[in-house]
Amino acid sequence: MIDQMEPAPKDTEYDLYFGPAHPGSGNFGVKLKIDGEIVTSARADPGYLHRGFEKLMEYRTPIQNAVLSDRICVLEPLNWNLVHAEAVDELMGIDVPERAKYIRVIMAELSRIQSHIIWYGVFSIGTGFDTGFKMAFGYRDYILDLFEMITGGRVYPAGYICPGGVRRDFPNGAADKILKVLDKMGEMIKLEELENPALDARARGVGTLKVKDAIRLGATGPVLRGSGMKTDVRKEEPYEVYDRLDFEVPVRSEMDAYARYMIGIEEMKQSIKIVKQALEELPEGEVIAPKFKRPRVKVKIPEGEVYVRNEAARGEAAIYMVSDGESKPYRCKIRGPDFLHMIPVLEYLLKGAQIADVPAIYWSLNICPADMDR
Amino acid sequence: MNPKEEREAQILEEIGSKFDVEGKIQRERRIWISLDNKDLIELCGWLKNQGFEHLSAISVTDWVKEGKFEVTYHLWSYKDKILLTLKTKIDRKKPVIESVTSIWKENAQIHERELHELFGVKFKGNSDLSPLFLEDWHAPPPFRKDFDWRKYVREEHYDKENAREVVYYD
Amino acid sequence: MKLGILPKLFKNLFSKPMTVRFPYESIPIPDGYRGEHAYDMEKCISCGLCAKICPNRAIEMVEASKEYKDKYPKTYPKIDLGKCCFCGLCEDICPENAIKLTKNFFLSTFDDSNVIRPPMPKAEEQIND
Repeated sequence: MIDQMEPAPKDTEYDLYFGPAHPGSGNFGVKLKIDGEIVTSARADPGYLHRGFEKLMEYRTPIQNAVLSDRICVLEPLNWNLVHAEAVDELMGIDVPERAKYIRVIMAELSRIQSHIIWYGVFSIGTGFDTGFKMAFGYRDYILDLFEMITGGRVYPAGYICPGGVRRDFPNGAADKILKVLDKMGEMIKLEELENPALDARARGVGTLKVKDAIRLGATGPVLRGSGMKTDVRKEEPYEVYDRLDFEVPVRSEMDAYARYMIGIEEMKQSIKIVKQALEELPEGEVIAPKFKRPRVKVKIPEGEVYVRNEAARGEAAIYMVSDGESKPYRCKIRGPDFLHMIPVLEYLLKGAQIADVPAIYWSLNICPADMDR
Repeated sequence: MNPKEEREAQILEEIGSKFDVEGKIQRERRIWISLDNKDLIELCGWLKNQGFEHLSAISVTDWVKEGKFEVTYHLWSYKDKILLTLKTKIDRKKPVIESVTSIWKENAQIHERELHELFGVKFKGNSDLSPLFLEDWHAPPPFRKDFDWRKYVREEHYDKENAREVVYYD
Repeated sequence: MKLGILPKLFKNLFSKPMTVRFPYESIPIPDGYRGEHAYDMEKCISCGLCAKICPNRAIEMVEASKEYKDKYPKTYPKIDLGKCCFCGLCEDICPENAIKLTKNFFLSTFDDSNVIRPPMPKAEEQIND
């Protein structure tokens, strides 16, 4: 006689940790519970890159914080430099010169093109198209060489966009080099738009997100535009000189991973258009407010609070800064777009998906763990 | 008054007639409102019906000298394109406040989970307040102003033998 | 029939590869690159501003070592390259232009003692002394 000791586990259920040591996931882990081929639930596991930025910024003066702010998100350092510089400018009431505003817009848009190239590259390798990855990172080097010539470093520009303006002026011949690089980018976009049967089969109809769910879960940026809502911080509350430049906001109505991928390519075309217009209208003059020409050790920030929103490559980036009259900010809260994309939106989209669709959904959200953990 | 700030003034008047608040318009598209704890959920529900559907961020500021935490809610309206900030104060020794997950669902839940771990504020009504970033943390909440991080790091992580770290032991 | 990527493939078959055989060859580095520090002890006036502005506290003001103490009696910057993030704020703030960032980036080493750089005069002066 065989006694039944414990109920036998159901044969087809198991746990899978799609984790940080996996070559297809970046440094972020997701715990999946799977039944056969279908994912029944997903739980995000953040915290591998937590450095405590909000506390670090309370012990440093604004010019030192500008050097620190390019490490908030590694893949788009100049855009975060811009958010922090705008917050301090508004708190202190500084008038930024015109030439500095145009240079800030040019550098921010070049950084957006560079970040979308990385998105295209890792999305291709996640769905199996290796040539796309190598092509993308090869063309990205042209933009990194441009950054090295203008700011002094390839990846980290060390606070190039600082409170008051920018740290250095363009060297001689920079405008011609930028135009040559933009022609190369146009060539790359023509190659990217060729038909790719692997991507069509793996990304169409996968990871559908409706508009009402997207707003409830807190999605912004290309994820919300891929669901059909036409919104962009650069058009709704224009900052710097975006109200004088002419560009369009791409929107798609299919709501799936393929729509988000096509929006990335369209946005690169619009960014090239913005940089060309800004280069034509670039005026002469100073590049930094006279008060900040030499860095100063103690600068008093007047009392007050401010909330600044910007459109980073991944969505809505914002900083809430409070000051109590000393030379260091009292509280600096950073709102990153990926904090919402990687935890609520990812857990909602992975539920009920097939296991082979997990990389396509994961990479179509354009995630960056550095921006989530800060 | 600036002719472009009409809609902001209209919203501020409507709120002022229904609830007991103090508000000001900082510049175009920015309204700041301070209110008392008890009206919070009602006002949030009313604001969501008026078009403020996007919760941008929730944040906590630690005012040590006054002995209070200040919780701020930043709301954005896609219809009117205005950002409205709500500020309330709670006691620092026993920080408890009602959660807004009944109104903004998962968006608010993840913000409150992070603030619970880093500041120690308890949100009544939130279904999941487990730790998010830190693992095996046996010390007071780290982002408070009276957390002595130098003492914590010296005891747990630094190494007296290393020549470059000896400097921090005096 | 769609050609797709084939024309570019044929063009690339007959052109020179883009790989550069580093460290035997190198691509030209532009001016303004932020590399290793070059410090001139003659020009330094010991104001200590570079130590106050460094975001990572990599610079510390110390006294010169025994051989040079009679010629340089004040305190001078000691730079810890492991903590430095090469931002260039010390170069921008120095009133006498005594610290400059050069184009050298070959700084990896297996030897721990090479990482902290105490203040020393330039090589010509050492031979004279």
